[in-house]
Amino acid sequence: MPPLLSIDAVSKSFAAHRALAEVDLAVEAGEFIALLGPSGCGKTTLLRCIAGFLTPDAGRIRIEDDDITHAPPYRRPLNTVFQSYALFPHMSVADNVGYGPRRAGAGRREAQERANEALALVGLEEMGTRLPSALSGGQQQRVALARAIVNRPKLLLLDEPLSALDLKLRRRMQIELKHIQEKLGIAFIFVTHDQEEAMAMADRIVVMNAGRIEQTGTPEAIYRAPATRFVAEFVGEPNLIPLEPAGPGRARLALGGAELPAASGMRFAMARPEDIVLIDGSVPDDVATFPGTVEEVLAIGPLTTLFVRCGAAVLKVARLGMSGAELAPGSTVTLGLRPAALHLIAE
Amino acid sequence: MTAPRTTLALLLFAPLAFFAAFFLAPMAVVALSSLTTDEGGPTFAHYARILFDQYHWDVLWVTFRIALATTALCLLIGFPLAWYLVRIVRWRSWRRACVILIVVPLFTSNIVRSFGWMVLLGRTGLVNQGLMGMGLTERPIRFLGTETGILIGMVYILMPFVVLSVGNALAKIDTALEDASADLGVGPARTFWFVTLPLCLPGAVSGAIMVFALAVSAYVTPALLSGGQITVFSMLIFQQYSSVFDFHYGGALSVTLLVLTLILVTLAGRIGERGRRAA
Repeated sequence: MPPLLSIDAVSKSFAAHRALAEVDLAVEAGEFIALLGPSGCGKTTLLRCIAGFLTPDAGRIRIEDDDITHAPPYRRPLNTVFQSYALFPHMSVADNVGYGPRRAGAGRREAQERANEALALVGLEEMGTRLPSALSGGQQQRVALARAIVNRPKLLLLDEPLSALDLKLRRRMQIELKHIQEKLGIAFIFVTHDQEEAMAMADRIVVMNAGRIEQTGTPEAIYRAPATRFVAEFVGEPNLIPLEPAGPGRARLALGGAELPAASGMRFAMARPEDIVLIDGSVPDDVATFPGTVEEVLAIGPLTTLFVRCGAAVLKVARLGMSGAELAPGSTVTLGLRPAALHLIAE
Repeated sequence: MTAPRTTLALLLFAPLAFFAAFFLAPMAVVALSSLTTDEGGPTFAHYARILFDQYHWDVLWVTFRIALATTALCLLIGFPLAWYLVRIVRWRSWRRACVILIVVPLFTSNIVRSFGWMVLLGRTGLVNQGLMGMGLTERPIRFLGTETGILIGMVYILMPFVVLSVGNALAKIDTALEDASADLGVGPARTFWFVTLPLCLPGAVSGAIMVFALAVSAYVTPALLSGGQITVFSMLIFQQYSSVFDFHYGGALSVTLLVLTLILVTLAGRIGERGRRAA
């Protein structure tokens, strides 16, 4: 069985700008994929190539066994939720949602029924007769979703669909979208520049940068074991501790002290802020310690972040709740770190 | 914060006075004179004279026929032009040049442009020479003094209104809407019919109403291109005011044309509104 969507070595340039450089990606049926990256990384270009609004300069895009690289958008078995929602302003909500079935030859009644069904799925069954302009942003977003899933495509593309919503609504819609996706079993390709959104929703995250895929993996793999410095810095807050060579197959943390096995060419050891602890009293065997001076304390309620200077580096240390908030800048502390928790990065 | 009463009154009064002085008063004068006799007594005689005379109905029919044909042709040619300007031209300076080409004739006098067409459409004019040169016709075609000639001049002069209002409507349409239609499995032709066209309709209707109103009341172009062979309603009005000096009868003619035009324009507006809702 071939994957639902396979993208082979797709490239796309706009004048001198290389938007996509030989991108490969396979998406299985029912998967929730997040395309994550900063603006201009090529994620939207990739999505538009899949949807058919752009034609790649090179490479192939297939859905199951069908080559759709050059098929026009209206002949592709997939649907899109647009960033601007793109609801037809001259049609009622129900006509918007029923537009696909109606134009595909369904009768007025059948189109209406299917529109109502899709609207019920997003909790808007009461709104069918309104015009899109009479709805709130969140409601318009749901209508756009209903319109895109009314034909039950196997693949749904979502182009930053939540970016226009305020934070609270956004959080709620993330959960709701995830539930709808699981319920319908449709594969989602979700473009976002918000790493938390990607972490919260996706089965797999594809991190893109400068037209290339930097890493593809589960949210946990992306977070715990970023392949590159870019991924480490784009997803979450890393502490990148420089490594100094210490004999064959070994390296020493530039903070002084701890040595650990490392293949040659590894330049950084990454520790997430929550991996570094404040040592107060006895030290467990497998924990390396080093002294530091608190430079700044940032307490936001659920999380307190300490910025601790250790030699040349400033390490971020995260603690749950307000613990540590009482430490004054300038106070000296001892930091502890399990070398086993470190992840090594070459570049 | 509340503005002083006098300021408010002034703000309201200024535009009201302007409209009253420049629009309402002249209309009232015309309407009043159409309802009075030379001696100043009230009468409907002028209207009776118009409405019970077949000749007036014939002229009205010619006038409205030319205006309707002008409107239809302006829409038919103006829409693709607007499409070309908004959707096809990618090069910004070329688009600007095109817009200037369309707008600049509006700054030139109607008389100059109509004379230009008289020269072009004459027996030995450029148009006939071209047609004969290409072997499309043996003998020169008569344009001057025919409705075709008037139509050519009117369409040329009024086209910019359609191009500008349709172009404006087209430019405001988010192309993501057409993408969304394609994404839902609908091909380009049906996307145009179900999405693009309905969204341009308000612009097209307002352009068409402008063209129609201007075409119905046009005097210079029909007068110059008709060569005295065809009479439109505005010529009748002009005769009464300028040569017969019958302001009462002329006023009645003006009001008749105004009322009939308003009825047609209102109907067109209704149709446009309904079309937009049904789409």
